[in-house]
Parts: sequence; structure tokens; C-alpha cells
Amino acid sequence: MNHQPPKWADRFLQWYCRPELLEEIQGDAYELFYRKVMQHPRQAKVQFVWNVVRFFRWKNIKRTQNKINKSRATMDMLKNILTVALRNFVRQPGNTSLSVIGLTAGFVCAFLVMLWSLHEYSYDSFHPQGEQLFKVLTHAEANGTKETYSVASCVMDVSSIPEVESLTSVSTGTRWPHQLCFRPEGKADECIYMDGVYASENFFQVFHFPILQGDTNPVKGTASIAISEKMAEALYGKENPLGKVIKIDGTREVKIVSIFQNVPATSSLQFDFVMTYDVLKKQWGIDDEGFKQNFFEMYVKTHQPISADLLTEKLNDVRVITEAYKNEKLSYQAFPFTDWHLKSKFEDGKNTGGRIDYVMLFLVIGCLVVIMAVINFINLTTARASLRGKEIGIRKVTGAMRSTIAAQFMGEAFLLVMIAFALSVVITQATLPIFGTLIQENLSVDIFSGWTPAYLLVFLLAVSLLAGAYPAIVMSSFQPIRALKNQLTMSATGSQRFRKLLLTIQLSVSIGIIIFSGVIYSQLKYITEKDLGFDRSNMLRIEPTYRLLLKFEAFKNELAKDPNIVSVGAANSNPLNMGGSNMGVTWQGKEPDARIAFKTLGCNYSFPNTMGLKLSQGRLFELSTHDSVRTEMILTEESAKIMGFTNPIGEEIKIGGTTGVVIGVVNDFHTESLHEARVPVILFRTAPEHLSTIYVKYQPGSTIQSMESIANAYKLIEPAYTMKYWFQDETFDEIYKTETVASRLVILLTVIALAIAIIGIVGLATFNVLRKMKEMSIRRVFGASAVQVLQLLVREFLAVILLAIVITIPLIWYRANEWLNGFAYHTAMPWRIFVVACVGIVLLITLIIVLQGVKTIRTNPTQTLRSE
Amino acid sequence: MKGNYLGELEELVLLHVGILHPDAYGVAVMDEIEKQAGRSLNISAVHSVLTRLEEKGFLKSKMGDPSQERGGRRKRIFLLTAAGKRALEEANELRTQLFNQIPKVALQFRLA
Repeated sequence: MNHQPPKWADRFLQWYCRPELLEEIQGDAYELFYRKVMQHPRQAKVQFVWNVVRFFRWKNIKRTQNKINKSRATMDMLKNILTVALRNFVRQPGNTSLSVIGLTAGFVCAFLVMLWSLHEYSYDSFHPQGEQLFKVLTHAEANGTKETYSVASCVMDVSSIPEVESLTSVSTGTRWPHQLCFRPEGKADECIYMDGVYASENFFQVFHFPILQGDTNPVKGTASIAISEKMAEALYGKENPLGKVIKIDGTREVKIVSIFQNVPATSSLQFDFVMTYDVLKKQWGIDDEGFKQNFFEMYVKTHQPISADLLTEKLNDVRVITEAYKNEKLSYQAFPFTDWHLKSKFEDGKNTGGRIDYVMLFLVIGCLVVIMAVINFINLTTARASLRGKEIGIRKVTGAMRSTIAAQFMGEAFLLVMIAFALSVVITQATLPIFGTLIQENLSVDIFSGWTPAYLLVFLLAVSLLAGAYPAIVMSSFQPIRALKNQLTMSATGSQRFRKLLLTIQLSVSIGIIIFSGVIYSQLKYITEKDLGFDRSNMLRIEPTYRLLLKFEAFKNELAKDPNIVSVGAANSNPLNMGGSNMGVTWQGKEPDARIAFKTLGCNYSFPNTMGLKLSQGRLFELSTHDSVRTEMILTEESAKIMGFTNPIGEEIKIGGTTGVVIGVVNDFHTESLHEARVPVILFRTAPEHLSTIYVKYQPGSTIQSMESIANAYKLIEPAYTMKYWFQDETFDEIYKTETVASRLVILLTVIALAIAIIGIVGLATFNVLRKMKEMSIRRVFGASAVQVLQLLVREFLAVILLAIVITIPLIWYRANEWLNGFAYHTAMPWRIFVVACVGIVLLITLIIVLQGVKTIRTNPTQTLRSE
Repeated sequence: MKGNYLGELEELVLLHVGILHPDAYGVAVMDEIEKQAGRSLNISAVHSVLTRLEEKGFLKSKMGDPSQERGGRRKRIFLLTAAGKRALEEANELRTQLFNQIPKVALQFRLA
């Protein structure tokens, strides 16, 4: 058998090795290879490759000989080119600044979008072993479709999966008991609200939230709490808080055992304290058995990176998910934790994106805006440069080669791009805080952080090449004789056509962006103005303390003294955003297997009135019937229809273990964002102390007076607490925050897109007028009217605009339709916006061209014709 | 002077070139070092030390005869120069001299 060293390695050695060293090095390598190859052919090969790699040292590598610089561009010539470039900039300051402004606007836009998407992508990426973290989701199958919940059983047992390193469960929330009132030391009537989580023991092992002081595993025991730096500072100032005892809700004592670093803004888990489930059980007043029924956020950390599908399969093993849950048609899914922030939307058990849709949308728009800016730049440059035929001609005649001319124009382009780039970096950095408020987010990145400068550099090079290449190719191809004889028209037609093509693209993009933002805007308007079925304006939502709930009637009576207060009610959730639905509703005549989701809303007797629900049958709750044997319930029209009741009054309904009787029917109302379809609702009556939120409706225009009486009434009952409240209107806006932010971004991009388009048109129109100066003058001399001459100018552009419109409309119609379909409730396609945008663009462009043309027409034709 | 300084590995290689005289070349030196000093070096490391020593003037080299086991390629044979011999002597001398200055007591170890 003939054993030979690996050929590729040998070739590589021959390629890099200095010829005078090659023989001995290759010889040694071969000798070692042959010595071993008989016994261990494989090892010998590996060793050979290894040796070749190890010989790859600076000393052994071939030096390229110092070639004679073949380029003719000597220092003097470069200097000359630079001088000419600067002179050109100075001679045509308007034109140059138009180019630069256009580019700058595009760049700023792109940078902001880039920073925003980097920020979005950086969520949860601070966990060092992010790819080993998984969130467990639960799919519940009902009526053929799957609903997905971001929680799983809190007593899940994963000990049968060897890949899992640890598991933790976290109970999160935005209200009591996750939001608690803490009192700084020595100030008994001050109240600082802090949000926190309850977690199981492994919390700090699974996640990377560094502990600065104290116990590194604080989530244990029955009475300990770990707090953030921020919270420590707020409660104790500079004092060392370790070992201090905090009273929760004024009664339960917990000891501070650790302080952890503030949770980064880019964490999807946000909290200022961590406590154990033992505390939570006591807060909720449930025993271990009841606790086991709970579903919490579950996180799994694996030993090694593992595919989510594999882990999902293992989670659905009966040993993990249990027989009981399997029978309930539940299934688990392991979802990569770092993807959760961007891809948290599920439809029928499948991931359908989420925030990533917006990130992608804006990345695309950002790219389009940059392309527009670059096209603009190319158009302006080539247009301007075709007026420089003489210069190029002379250069060529005196011996410049094509590459030199190309280098000159590339260089000029690069210079301008650099200026625009530097400007936009400064502007971006300066406007970042404003941008942050615009999108209501604290960006975690700025233009100088992390990898951003590297991205920017790549961006700069790419754009310079894009912007410089075409002008360089066109300009350098001029025939010197023709250029000198001013006969450039022939060769310029080619680029003229190309310029028109570019202009078409550019206009299509701007029209597209403008129309799309119009669609987004009208949908947002539709959402905010849509009747949800209940009142939300002039309404205050109060987070009550337990005592306030117990004394609800007293509170209500106190408020009744103020004529500005219309009504006070209480419920167990917010109808704007009710959250989980209930499948455990049964009634007479329900098909045994049917699993129908209802939203069940517990409330006091006055709540339907406060919300302004309209009664269509029966009666609402009344104060006097409080002691009814069975709970009273009110259906919405939709619920009554689904249950198949023609006369629902008096029918019996069971929600879980509670039996109730229907006393009335009210109008349908939405309980989620309009992304979701409306779900039928059942209202059941509950005593105020079992509810969690108080709603106060006041007269329009009396906000200040009403706030005062509400605060006073609150102080009367809870003197030691600061009242926590929200306006329902603001909560509503919060629900559509993503949409609001998106629409603001879109408006910003629209303005920039429009600005760039205008710059492009102005530049090209100016150039066109210059080029056609003689033609226009001759026509004028022969008696053409001003309108006829202007037509000449406008006609050329009009064709381009119409083409752009024809291309764009169907595309954008399709895309907008798709976007609108993402909402369960959306406005009809706002075709008026299409018309207005198109007509507006045409008028605007015509106006610009006419303005440019009129300047020329005003001058005496003889003046332009005289020069020849 | 920097050029005259002899590193530890350099000294080792230089010694072995002397030992192997007149057949010292890359692979042979590498093998010998492994046999005598028990240190296994990569061939490229031996190479770079050899060329460095040649640059410093402690070694000179010539091409040897082609051999079958090297696929018909010649070896580069290394030989000690006078400067190389002196460098070895100096290093040896310095070492002995320093060793002799260590007080006897310091070398007496007892099981404490």
C-alpha cells in the first residue's frame, strides 16, 4: 500500500513556504510521516497536517517581492484629484450639500433603526449560557385548536431527563403580591412600591443575576428575601441592609439575606426582590396541596446546548407531564429563552413571530431608506459629472488611464460619503435620547458600544462602493474626443435611462413607505376609536389594600358625597386586559366534550353600571339581593347565544365549583387587545373583599377635583398608604404601545423618505433644466408658450412617477392587507390614503419642476443662446 | 548583548547539535532531545530554534545528501561554529561557577 501524506496539506505547505526553506522543512515533515505511517497511518496523517500548521510561522512564510508600483497615480496626481474634488464641492455648494443632506438623512434613519434592532436582539443575551436556557410553554388543545400559555405546572419533575441541569419556576405579576409596598426605615407612612418575583430554589443558578453581597443562594427558607441594589438604596440609603428585617404588608417578617445587581433593562424578567414560595403560599393563604395546582413560568437549564425539539419531546414524556395533564390534552414545549422576547406570539400551538415582525419591518424600511439615499446620491453625482465632460476629456488626453478616472470619482464619492457618515454619527448620537422617548424605551446600546462600530464600518464601505461604483464606471468610459467636442449626449443617454430607472425605484420606495405608514396610522386610529363595549374614559383604576376592600361601602359612600363622582365599582380584573380564559364553564344542555373558552369576571353589584354596560334582558345586580343563595350572574349576548339560551334568565350555570343563576344579559364587550378575537364573558357577583381592583368613574372635565376627593377618601381609610392608581385611558394606550411606537417610527421614516425623495427630484430637475436650457430657449424664440415649455420638462418626470405608482400600488396593497389581517379587528383598506398619497406626490413633483423651469423661462432666451 | 544571549531551549538544541556531530539535522535533533532530556518538541519548534541559532552565528549549515525516507529531499546538516562552542563553554562555566557558590548547608535536605 502506498501511503502518502494528505495532498492538500502538502500543497498548502508548498504554497506558503519560502522556497529556500521548503526542501528541508518538507523533508523533515515527510520523514516523520514515513516513520509512523506503517503502524499508524491515520495518526501519521494527522501529525503531518499538524506539523504543516505548526510550520506556518512568519519566518517561514514567503515574502512577496516589493513590486514596482504599477499605478500611475503618484502623489502629485492624488493631490490634484483632491484639489479638483474640493473645488467642485465649493463651486456647487447647493448641489453638494443636497447630496450630503440626502445621505445624512438616510444614514441617521438607518443607524437609529439599527440601534433599535440591536437593542431588541440584545434582550436576555446577558445570560452567559443563553443557548442552554429554555422556557416551558403549555399548549392546551380545545375544539381542534391549541392555545398557548407561557406557564407550566409548578411541580413539574424533570429528574428523568438526564440533559437537564436545573429547573426553576418563577411566579411573576404586576400587582399584589408581586408588587408590594415597602417602607424606608424610620418613615412609617412613606410607601415605595416595588415589583418582585417568587421563585423556587434554583433561580439564581439557572439565571445569571449576580449576587453582590450575602448568601449566593438566597431563595430558601421561609422568611428570607433578596433585594436589588436599587431597592436597597431606596430603603436604606447607604446603610448595609443585610440582616435587616422587612415587614411585608405590615405583618409578615422577612430578613434580607442577599443583594443582587440591578436587573438589566434588557431582561425579560424584571424584578427588585425575590422571595420563596413559602412566603407566597402564606400571602395567598393556600396549603401545599392547593399550591401544586398552580402554573408558573418554568425555566430549564441544560448541561449542554440541546435542540429545543428534542427537549420538547422529553418534556412530553409521561414521567414529566403526568398522566393527568396528558388526559387534559395539555402538552409542553421547550422554547429557547433568548428568543422569547422577539417571538412570543403563538397561534394554534405554532410560533407566529411577535415583536420580530416589527423589527424586521423596520430593518427592511431602514434598508430601503438607505437604498433611496444612495440612489439619490448616484443620480446627483452622475448628473453633475456629465457636466464635467471637459475635465475628463483633458485628463484622458494628457494620459490618464480609465482606472485613474474611476479612482478619482470613487474618491470623490467616498469623500462625500465620509462627510455624511461623520455627520450622521454625530446626529444619531445626539438624537438618541429623543429617539428613546419617541419609542418609549431606554436603548441599551449607543453608537459606540459593543460591535456597533464594526457594523458601521462595514456599512460605510458598502455604501461607498455602492455610491461610487456606478458614477466611476460611467465617467471613466467617456470618449475623450467626444467629451472635448461637447458631444456627450450619445454616451449620456445610456446613463440617462439608468438614472430614470433608479429614480423609478426611489419613487416607488418613497410612495410605498408613505402609503404604508398611512395604513398603519389609520388602523391605529381605528383601534383607539373603536367602541370596546364599555367605558374607559374618565375612569380611574385603584389598587386597593385589603382594608379598603373590606370597607368598600364606606369608601363608596364617602365618594358619593362629591357630585363629580359618577359611580364606583370593583372587579377582579381589568376588562381592558383580562388575561386567561376559563374553560370550566358548564350549563344545562352543554355538549359533554365541548371545550369553550369564556372570560369570567368577578365583580360587585355596581360594577356593570360603572363600566356603562347596556342591559338587554333581565336586570343588573342590585344591592338588596346580596344574600341570594346562589351567586348571581350576568351573561353577554354572545355568551347567551353560545350557550343556546333563548331566554337565559333563571338558567343555572356552573363556573368550576360555583353555581350561579343568570339574572340578566348585557351587550358584548372586548376583553383583550384588538389583535385577539372577542371572547364571550360571564360576570358573576362577588363580595368586594374577594376582588382586587376598584374603578371610579367621574364627570368629564372634573379630573382634578375628582382626584382630590378620591385621594381624601382613600386617606380616610388607609392613612399609611400611598394610593396607587391608573387612568384607564393610559392603560389602554399601554396595551397598544407597540403599535404606537411603530406608528411613530413610521412617521419618522416617512418624513425622511419624503425628504430624500424631494432632494432627489430637486437635484435632477435642476440638472434637467440646465441640460435643456438651449432647447427651451430656442422653443421660446420660436414662440412656444411658457406652459408648452414647462410641459417639456414635466413630461419626462411624469412618466417615471406613473410607472413608480403602477409598480408600487399592488405590492403595497398586498403587504398592507397582510398586516391588517394580523388584527382580529381592522379597518377596511383605506384606499383614500392611496389616492391622496399618489396625487400628492405627483402634484409635489410637478410643482418642484415647474418652479425650477419658471426660473429659466423668466430669463431672456437670448442670454442663454448668446454663448455659442 | 542581545545577540549573544543563549536561551534555555537554545542551549539544549545547541548541545544536541554538538552531540550528534556530524549528522545533526531537524528530525535527528528532535529525536535526540526526546531521548536524552525527555522533552518532546514539535519539529517546527526545533526548526525555528536551529535557524535562530544560525542567525546568531552559533551554528552553520550545509545541505546533505538526498535520502529515500525523505522522499528524495536533502537534509540541512547543522554544525557548531567556534562562536557556538564558546557560547556553550561560557554557559557551562557560568553554571558550574554559580553552582559551586551555593553553601553546602543549602543543599542538605533532611526529612523534617
